[in-house]
Amino acid sequence: MVFSEKQISYGIRQVKNQYKKLGTGLCITGIIIGLISYFVIGSVPLTAVGISAIMIGMTCIVLACTHPSLSPQVYQLMLITGLENTTVLLDGLGLSDKAVYIPSTMGNGYQQALIPLEGNVEMNLIKEKIPDRLIVRYGQNPEDRAISVTTPGSICLDRFETVPGPTADEIETAVNYILSEVLDIADSASVILVNDKVYVAVSNPKLIFEDSCYYQYLGSPIASIIAAISSEALGRPIRISEEILEKKLSTITLEVLL
Amino acid sequence: MFLVLVSCLVNTLLAFFGQENLGIYLIINIICFLVLTLIFTPANPRVKKQFNILNMIFFTGFLVIVIIEFADIISR
Repeated sequence: MVFSEKQISYGIRQVKNQYKKLGTGLCITGIIIGLISYFVIGSVPLTAVGISAIMIGMTCIVLACTHPSLSPQVYQLMLITGLENTTVLLDGLGLSDKAVYIPSTMGNGYQQALIPLEGNVEMNLIKEKIPDRLIVRYGQNPEDRAISVTTPGSICLDRFETVPGPTADEIETAVNYILSEVLDIADSASVILVNDKVYVAVSNPKLIFEDSCYYQYLGSPIASIIAAISSEALGRPIRISEEILEKKLSTITLEVLL
Repeated sequence: MFLVLVSCLVNTLLAFFGQENLGIYLIINIICFLVLTLIFTPANPRVKKQFNILNMIFFTGFLVIVIIEFADIISR
């Protein structure tokens, strides 16, 4: 494949990092200001300004080093392709019900979601571990089949060194850690656990997504992450029963099954 | 952004109060840097690793200044 000059220059522009330029500029300026202020002018406050500029410049250079080598557009391209294919697959199967998030102990060592092919997933029918396949059988009857998928929440669980405990406080801490610290897609979340319901309020959700068939089955990415964490923490299957998405505050209701 | 604001504020205030000891400027700037990076560093392991290296450099500088000041006080 031969790239045109325009494409090459576009690629180079993408790679060039503004942070590195800014950091280098600040470091050089800081050194010059510091040296002149200390040895020529003899001003301590101006020398301190030079040193501060060096510190800020070094911080910028470190931030530049942590910049991803691939542009976000590449990740977006890969993500959209995967989502489109999964949506076509789910849509083609004519599924009728929402996904059930099952903990890793019920699966093959990792968290997954089951979308029933016919009717609801009867959790009491699950006697054995769910195998690592696309179409899985969870009961004895021929119609007890479901699609097994990995969700955004399943991937996020790898971030935890230990599984969060089954209390509302521990789930809230885990959800806040993933949503606000790791992914930075919401400001905070509060969790209330009442009987077999988990009520979650997410303030300032930042993730924008298209309302596609994929999200109708699995819930929005934020709801999916919360359902996966809650399922793993409680050690029980969970279904997203209600999701009210608003700009400032989203409320998600999860139903704990079994 | 916070680092820039805090640095400006610290240097302006110290200059306003007539501080002429460069060591004091350095110590306060380094403490501000360490505190801010501790609070605002993202949880990304790669970012954390890079910032830990930078923190170590500045903390070493901080210790050197403190030892020099301490030796200065002792020698008086």
